[in-house]
Amino acid sequence: MRGVSSYQQYMPEKAELQAFDEHLSSLRYAGMIQHALMPDEETLAGILRDYFILFLPRDIVSGDFYYAFSNRDYLCIAAGDCTGHGVPGALLSILGISFLNEILQAEKCMKANRVLNMMRERIMKALHQTGEKSGTKDSIDIALCIINQKTGEMQYAGANRPLVMIRNGELTEYKPDLMTIGLAPVEERAFKNNYLNTQKGDLFYLFSDGFPDQFGEKTNKKLKNKNFRKILENASSYTGMKDQKKYLENTFLEWRGNMPQVDDVLILGFKL
Amino acid sequence: MKLCAFRIRNFRSITDTGWQNLSADNITCLIGQNESGKTSILEGLRSFYTGSISEDVLRSDLSLPEISCRFNVNRGWLTEVTENPGAELKELLSELTTVELTRNWLPDFSSTIKVSGRISEYLNSLENAWGLYLDEVKSKFENEIEEINRYKQRIEEIKSLKAEIIRKADPSAGKGMVSRLFRRTQGGLIDRLSADQRHSLNELVREEESLNKTLTGKQVIAGAGIEYKSLLNKLEETERKLNELESILEEYHQKMTLLLMPIEKHEDPEWTKVLEDFRNSRIEKEKLKSTLESHIAFSGYLMEGRSAEEAQLLTLEAMRRYKSQYTSEILGRKYFEYCPDVVMFEDFGSLLPNRIDLEDIITGNEQVEGYKAARNFLTLAKLDYSFFQQPSSRILKQKIENLNNTLTVNFQDFWQQSIGRNNKIKIQFELDHYSLSFGDKAGKPYLEFWVKDSGERLYPKQRSRGVRWFLSFYMELKASAMRSTKPIVLLVDEPGISLHARAQEDVLKVFEDIKDRIQIIYTTHSPHLVDVNKMHRILAVQRDDLDNLKSTTRVLDPLELASASPDTLSPLQNIMGNPHFSEGFASNRLNLIVNDTGTFYLLSAIIHVTGFKGKISIIPSTDVSSIPLMCNILMGWGLKFAVLLFGNDKERKLAEYLKENLFKTEEKDSDYLIVTDPGFLNAEDLLSTLDFKNHVLKTREGITIPNSVYMEEKELPRSFLLSRLLSDVRQGKIGAGDFDEETNENFRYLIDLLIGLK
Repeated sequence: MRGVSSYQQYMPEKAELQAFDEHLSSLRYAGMIQHALMPDEETLAGILRDYFILFLPRDIVSGDFYYAFSNRDYLCIAAGDCTGHGVPGALLSILGISFLNEILQAEKCMKANRVLNMMRERIMKALHQTGEKSGTKDSIDIALCIINQKTGEMQYAGANRPLVMIRNGELTEYKPDLMTIGLAPVEERAFKNNYLNTQKGDLFYLFSDGFPDQFGEKTNKKLKNKNFRKILENASSYTGMKDQKKYLENTFLEWRGNMPQVDDVLILGFKL
Repeated sequence: MKLCAFRIRNFRSITDTGWQNLSADNITCLIGQNESGKTSILEGLRSFYTGSISEDVLRSDLSLPEISCRFNVNRGWLTEVTENPGAELKELLSELTTVELTRNWLPDFSSTIKVSGRISEYLNSLENAWGLYLDEVKSKFENEIEEINRYKQRIEEIKSLKAEIIRKADPSAGKGMVSRLFRRTQGGLIDRLSADQRHSLNELVREEESLNKTLTGKQVIAGAGIEYKSLLNKLEETERKLNELESILEEYHQKMTLLLMPIEKHEDPEWTKVLEDFRNSRIEKEKLKSTLESHIAFSGYLMEGRSAEEAQLLTLEAMRRYKSQYTSEILGRKYFEYCPDVVMFEDFGSLLPNRIDLEDIITGNEQVEGYKAARNFLTLAKLDYSFFQQPSSRILKQKIENLNNTLTVNFQDFWQQSIGRNNKIKIQFELDHYSLSFGDKAGKPYLEFWVKDSGERLYPKQRSRGVRWFLSFYMELKASAMRSTKPIVLLVDEPGISLHARAQEDVLKVFEDIKDRIQIIYTTHSPHLVDVNKMHRILAVQRDDLDNLKSTTRVLDPLELASASPDTLSPLQNIMGNPHFSEGFASNRLNLIVNDTGTFYLLSAIIHVTGFKGKISIIPSTDVSSIPLMCNILMGWGLKFAVLLFGNDKERKLAEYLKENLFKTEEKDSDYLIVTDPGFLNAEDLLSTLDFKNHVLKTREGITIPNSVYMEEKELPRSFLLSRLLSDVRQGKIGAGDFDEETNENFRYLIDLLIGLK
């Protein structure tokens, strides 16, 4: 049987299959560990009353991560996007999460821009980035919000990731600094701090670029930021955050169709 | 109790020194020209202790002196020594770590010692509350008495009106008739009255009955009123008498001052009588005042309808409630018992004699010449009479020889001067017996003293004045330290005035040696008696108007020496020279001492970048440990200065040292000392990490530790790097806009601290 023999020559050896299974198993385990480092439902429910997280890693482990922390005075939320995806991105995300913990839990500084400054120093030191050619170029893009629980004032600082606010159906985008957390092409500058006066009912969205960078089956083109904003506006019309998540997920899947997912997708939405 | 501050008012040339802190290390030095008032301060402190003054301390307006001393005590000590203080007073005493005592003099030159400060404020508040209570009661009481008097007056009026009515009815009616008229058994006369008259009469009778009834009810109060008036009159009389006696006393003082006669020696029976009357009148006045107050309170309870017995008990209770068992005077006397002994060193009053009979020493014959010095000598040698009862003269002589070596070695620890080229002096004593030629004294023992050098052996009186003074001084100090059970405050006026410069330095060494046991306050003109490393010990004394000897005395503490005149500061400037007024030290700006040159560069850069216009000159010390020396230098030069310290351990410890020894009060701390937030370990921590990397290090590596720690760990050339930053700033390569928000915020914080300096 000629077909069978030609087919058989492409079948992996049993040993190779076993190795592949073990590799997958390790990745799954790694995924569980990574997930454990991010705040779980119970923690998030204690911090954010009304929220959703749409988290669609491209692989088993993800280069995107979300973060939340609160104390008596402040509430901190972040969405990060590490260079690469899969294992390299996941390892960098673990660094990002642990540095955020270190900085915020020391409580020495509760200014969003200074947190990013300090995070950048730690990443650059950890990855031995000195600006010389031999160094790595890995970095993290992140949007960080810090809310004063007493006054309701929100600070936002962004490293290449914006913050979107929708108030009464009107969308406002807060632009980030065009700098990453890590070695930049040009000399590092301090991140800027943005102060927002919030109102009850305001909707906020932090997200990675996975969704807008996704190619659509029908057009074979990226969705792009402009269309993504429209989708966010549409989502905001749903009262329940869970419904918003469902809408966004369905929209993503519908847009993607049979196209492969190009990057990790993360959208963190919350309502004040 | 340790003396830590004083305040002298109305004593000789001194109107008010204000509170002056003594040096925490127990040696305080008063410098100033002649006639500035330095000795007056010492005499004032002595008078505080002894209670005695003479006329010549009175100022021209004859205002009486008032001297206050503040003492440090351990927290809780005041409650230990004060029996049953009462809950509120106990709470106050338990938190106090200082106690103030004030001595006031009266026209008869007697004095009282009272607590002042917080304790007297509390006691006064009780007095005030008592006073307010009494005023309220007194006001009601006086109204009541007035009312009673009005009623009595009205009753008399009614009697007159009744008599009038009767007389109209029967002009011939005498007094007896009028009075009989009102007895119902008398008829006839009433019938002669008209209806109107009868009506008026009845009205009057009714009113009179009512008033009489009221007065009967107020009989007790009326009685109290009479007693009150009597006490009031007696008190006023006593006060009048006291005022007259005070005037007479003043006239006497003036007269004695003009005659230059001390009042104690004045033997005039009339004067003695005046004094006695004055003292008795004061006591009488206090008694009357107390009785009157008690009577007013008592009357208050009577007015409430209480019986005399009840009112008495309630009065006692009220007095217990309002008045503490302790007055300022009672507590003052109590705490004064624990005060250190204040001793004025009498210059040549205790010279070592050539010889003294042992019997005079044993019997304590103070009239014998040199007794005090001989006694001091034996105290130092730890000898008493039993030492000399050794039966074997050989053993005794050996013991004496051993002792002579020990004593001399101790003395030579301080006396560094030599006699001649290489000699050192030795003190020796010997025991001997009078020969037959001494008549009554034959065979009696005596002690003979020698001051030896390797050249010759001479009696003390054959030695120089300087040696004799130093000997006398050394022995007095050391013996006092050994003998006293209480702490001592030693006052020394111009010590070692006849000593050579080196010997004067030896005097300072003696002070250093004994300062743990004896607190020393001394005056001097000599630069050799001032330790330049310890300027915090200086108090400068000068006249307010330097050209007018009649102007009042002013005292300046070490931080105010900038206001002292050059003549006042001459002992300091003789040792330290004149200040260098160039780019560095400035006389018309505040000199800000910082830890080193690196900080100097960075602060200069910050001042340039922020455009700060304050009159500040940054002075770099070589190192943190040199900062106290810098402070001494600037104080000695009379320049205004302040110190900026950062949050590292070394500088925080230095801050505590400066607060305790130099600045002494919290007010002075904030004027002269800046300690930054502990987060800034050194000057470079004022920069954000990013600005530190960009502008100082010019590197891009990640830094996760404080900038100053990074500098230290990497052993970077700090001064060089920060001077490069200053250079870039001055050349305009780096401006305010090149620093980030965090750095700018820190710069503003620092500038605010600088603005806060006076």
